[in-house]
Amino acid sequence: MTLKLAAALVATTALIGASGAAQAETYKIGITQNNVGVDSYQTTYEKAFIAAADENENVEAVVLDAGGDVARQIAQIQDLIQQNVDAIIIWPTNGKAVVPAVRKAHQAGIPVIVTNSNIAEEGLQFIASFSGPDNITQGARSAELMCEALDGKGKIVQISGQPGYTTAIERAKGFEDRLPEVCPDVELMETQPGDWNREKSQRVMESFLVKYDQIDGVYAGDDNMGVGALNAAKAAGRAGDIAFVGATNFAVGYEAMARGEYYGSIYQSPVDDAEAALKTALDVLAGKDVPALNYFDTPKITKANMDEFDKPVF
Amino acid sequence: MADPRLKSIGDLLARQGILIAFAIFLVGFAVFSDRFLTPENLETVIRQAAIIGVMAIGVTVVVIGGNLDLSVGSMLSFSTVLVVDLHDKIGPELAIIVMLAATLVLGAINGFLVGVARLNSLIVTLGMLSAIQGLTLIYTGGKNVDILDQETTWFAIFGRGHILGIATPILMFLGLALFMHVVMAYTPFGRRVYAVGGNPTAAVFSGIRRSRLVFSTYLISAFTTGIAALILGSRVMGSQNNVGQGYELLVLAGVILGGTSLLGGSGNILKTVIGVLILGFIQNGLLLMGFPYYAQWLVTWVVIILAVWLDIAAKRGRLLSPIA
Repeated sequence: MTLKLAAALVATTALIGASGAAQAETYKIGITQNNVGVDSYQTTYEKAFIAAADENENVEAVVLDAGGDVARQIAQIQDLIQQNVDAIIIWPTNGKAVVPAVRKAHQAGIPVIVTNSNIAEEGLQFIASFSGPDNITQGARSAELMCEALDGKGKIVQISGQPGYTTAIERAKGFEDRLPEVCPDVELMETQPGDWNREKSQRVMESFLVKYDQIDGVYAGDDNMGVGALNAAKAAGRAGDIAFVGATNFAVGYEAMARGEYYGSIYQSPVDDAEAALKTALDVLAGKDVPALNYFDTPKITKANMDEFDKPVF
Repeated sequence: MADPRLKSIGDLLARQGILIAFAIFLVGFAVFSDRFLTPENLETVIRQAAIIGVMAIGVTVVVIGGNLDLSVGSMLSFSTVLVVDLHDKIGPELAIIVMLAATLVLGAINGFLVGVARLNSLIVTLGMLSAIQGLTLIYTGGKNVDILDQETTWFAIFGRGHILGIATPILMFLGLALFMHVVMAYTPFGRRVYAVGGNPTAAVFSGIRRSRLVFSTYLISAFTTGIAALILGSRVMGSQNNVGQGYELLVLAGVILGGTSLLGGSGNILKTVIGVLILGFIQNGLLLMGFPYYAQWLVTWVVIILAVWLDIAAKRGRLLSPIA
């Protein structure tokens, strides 16, 4: 991490040297990410962000990573304020703990854009905009997919993400609220957390299969866990009777969908996510009217329309 | 304490407390869920416990030798990621060989630092825990790894297969446990591990080469972790970078529940098997009763404290220490 930081600083210094020659207005945009390298989504996000910033000659990016450590993220925000960047993009490691630092940036007159997952409510007044996926809508769309897959009738179980994660909570809420509206005859029997972990999800599903003789559908908080559930059902010889619906389409989910084993998911691209964050920051700096919650679209994906989407890289 | 019947109950608790606790759990869960004692469920639980169980066999040997191995959690992540990633690149046979070799190298580093350099095992293996996690992330750059051709690869045998109608993970778990039990209980090597763990000074004076012995206990725990990675990788047919996170504590919980003393010199592989199965049944039983699975952490803690307390109480003949 230290190496990366040093590399970023060196790159920044080089950029500062180079930017002296450019005449058009150059924006210096700092980003502090949550935990690059811990999963493929965040790794791809960082690459896409750097690529998008490189492509735009008016942008000079300072790319930092908090390594999942909220104290380091707060220090990075303070550094960015010191460097007097034009805008700060933050992927919160902790939605509550970063609020004071965000307030500081706001007081220093630097617009803050939150990316991917939002900060706590009390911090919203200090940010220019939130750019990211709408997890509640994602959950609702998954409920619609489930309804479609079961023809409006059946018994299902849910495997949710890590307890305490906003994404996990919002997706479950979106799903649970929407399901009875579109499909009153689909019964959600039980929800257990799978911690975004395929093996844990597989274990939870094995227990569900022992516990319930009839399971018509499984909703998993992401495809990684959905494929774990699929593994368990296949081993028990019951995969054919069960419709699997996920979210955040993963490569494994995409492939299982192509084989007809996995009904549907929500397509959320880290590339779209990163590009939307940069664009939101630029729009804010250009003085455009940017919505407080600037969602990028995350469409439904099933076997029927999957050729419109590239296979996810993670 | 004059009543001889009381004494014999205390004896029974001290000797077979873990088996009694095991029986109580089985009966308790069976009362609350009619699905609990079905053959399918029992198979599911033992199959799920196999990964922790295989690792616990090796860690029991390390602990009997008087040391700790906390690095096995991230070692499991590393080994699983490695074997899954290499599967599609160089084929399953070579992938398994490379993974086991790499895992043994990690074990050798632990063994060298603790056995030869005589550094504190807690510090060494705790450091290795995060170092190996870092190594895994550097290797993959954070990407998940997957085996693409899941349907036809023979690699599926370790996690998903059956031999003679019994799930392979169960066979590997129980087979390895029996083998290691025989090694520890009936061979000179086993006796030396107990001797070094129980009284290192006396062991050295009686001609045991302590460095080499401690070194080999870490090779054993690395080997069992490599075998666990085979089962895990084959079962999931993919791996996240942190898939083994927290396993070191579950493994240690199983070892402690089995009555192996953290001070070294005493312990029993077969009781570790029971300890691991208790953990597995707690998790499964709570799930069947509809509790979230993390309720097991709380229950497991209570069970461990009770097990350790009963063990000590039986040894000193009273519940609380005579010295205030």
